[in-house]
Amino acid sequence: MRAKKYMISLKNVIKEYKIGDTTLKALDSTTLEIKHGEFIGIIGSSGSGKSTLMHIIGLLDKPTSGEIIFEGRNIAKLTDDEISKIRNSVVGFVFQQFNLINNLTVAENIRLPLLYSKTKPDYDIANYANDLMRMFGIDKRANFYPNKISGGEQQRCAIARALVMKPKIILADEPTGNLDSKTGNEIIELIKKLNKDLNVTVVIVTHEKSVADKTRRRVYIKDGRVVDKYI
Amino acid sequence: MKQAIPLLKASIDDFKRNKIRTFLTSLGIMIGVFSVVILIGLGLGLKNYIQNQFESLGANLILILPGGGFTGEGGSGIGGAALVGGVSFDEKDVNSLKRISEIDFVVPVFMKGVTIEAPREEKFGYVMGINEDGFKLMNVKAQFGKLFDNSDVQASAKVGVMGNTIAKDLFSSPADSVGKTVRLENQRFKILAVAEKKGDREADSAIFIPYKTTYGSLNPDKTFWSIYLGVKSDELVSTAKVEAEKVLLDRYDKDDFAVTEQSELLSTINQIFSIINSVLIAIGSISLIVGGVGIMNIMYATVTDRTREIGIRRAIGATRQDILFQFLAESTLLSLIGGVLGLVAAGIIIIIIRQFFPATLNLFAAIAALGISSAIGVFFGVFPARRAANLSPIEAIRYE
Repeated sequence: MRAKKYMISLKNVIKEYKIGDTTLKALDSTTLEIKHGEFIGIIGSSGSGKSTLMHIIGLLDKPTSGEIIFEGRNIAKLTDDEISKIRNSVVGFVFQQFNLINNLTVAENIRLPLLYSKTKPDYDIANYANDLMRMFGIDKRANFYPNKISGGEQQRCAIARALVMKPKIILADEPTGNLDSKTGNEIIELIKKLNKDLNVTVVIVTHEKSVADKTRRRVYIKDGRVVDKYI
Repeated sequence: MKQAIPLLKASIDDFKRNKIRTFLTSLGIMIGVFSVVILIGLGLGLKNYIQNQFESLGANLILILPGGGFTGEGGSGIGGAALVGGVSFDEKDVNSLKRISEIDFVVPVFMKGVTIEAPREEKFGYVMGINEDGFKLMNVKAQFGKLFDNSDVQASAKVGVMGNTIAKDLFSSPADSVGKTVRLENQRFKILAVAEKKGDREADSAIFIPYKTTYGSLNPDKTFWSIYLGVKSDELVSTAKVEAEKVLLDRYDKDDFAVTEQSELLSTINQIFSIINSVLIAIGSISLIVGGVGIMNIMYATVTDRTREIGIRRAIGATRQDILFQFLAESTLLSLIGGVLGLVAAGIIIIIIRQFFPATLNLFAAIAALGISSAIGVFFGVFPARRAANLSPIEAIRYE
């Protein structure tokens, strides 16, 4: 019963991209298990396949072959709507480019996932969004548009958006990549605190050693394969 | 439904960012709706006008017209001046028709466009040669003075009854014109009365004179373009029609004249105008389709512009249907904005042209315009919206 033991498990996952006549293997027989409450770093150089892995874990992308069990459910058997529902309520994404919607204010961006929630949460989302903004020190920026605030504030806004539906897992793809080292550090500390205080599973994709060192388990990836050590 | 307001807000925000693009895109639909509403307005207005003209003549009426009658090749109300072919009727016909027992009165109608000269003014108007029963037929009542009677007709008296508008145009006020003289083709006519305003351009700008008085330079052939028969009662109309046909067949061939009941005429008018209106709507619809294609084009561009946003929305849980609705809402709103603008513009234009032409703005055209513009938004928006909905979330989010 892997379902109980692991939050997510990937077995022999292959992801290929076709570019013209050539086929590029981004992931090659990747097997990985993630337990509830873990704080994992996926570490690899540029082009190693680590972002592809994160997208597959977060159900943003589908593997070419292999099996993904997400909280006991085989993803291959789910419809697009069911997968969207999982992305909405179970997964929270944090991207290197922040990926906020520029014509929505900070507060509107944070509350946006509620728009796509098919079930009414058992807590007041608007209040919770305000709590998150206060917690992350962006409450004064609530009515600002993303392009009017700093990179660190934008990333905090993105993290608040990722958390607003109280997800079970946060997937962060190079979350400090567009930030200076001080702000980057603050963001990593924030994510670490969320993992500890809220018991949210966290997967951080990074190529930075300083970020990787903050995680509790490190998965090294090279040429689309999970390797024992980052060489 | 909880999505409706944020979706609408998202669409409006997008429109605000691209004001010119939004306006130009809506313009296509605006022109389409504008032309359809205007054309329907003109078509229906004209139909109602002509219908009212005939209805105001009263029931139990039979019209005798030359040629094939009112067959759609042309024509107008009283006088039927544009009818093609056939004979011209004369006094002899009028007298023979009078002998039909079912008939209450016979009105010969002569009509001609003339310049009516008053001492200080001159105006183009119509001279209408009728008898005293013609006033009853056309529901013309004297506002000032007294209408001419049978003795004036028999005496070919040089008298006339002025339409209200032309009386006002030629003299300072309608009341003043009674007793004055006007000239028509070098003949002098004394104004006996001014008619009450009818709201009918032809009747209001006409001078009614005894038909026998037209014999001479106005009507050298002593002929009429049409003859109207007032039947004693409703039940007698069909008998009277048969009798009238018999009378006329003594002098003319079957194809030279047409005897028509008022109800037949109204149904013919309805038929003709439903065809005209369909053609007008079809012409207007072409611009609506062009407008719709414009919307589709812009929506494709919008989907490309906002691919990344679509990816972000998908990443945080939007389903394909959510994205589809978002873009459909946007194209529908875009089209509806055009529809409302077109409707408002058409409304203003119709109010203006109403002064010169009997155009109407009817509720059906307004509702249809808005309904059709929304439908166009949905129809032409569905393809771009489907493209947006079917984007792979990860490819969309990576899109630069």
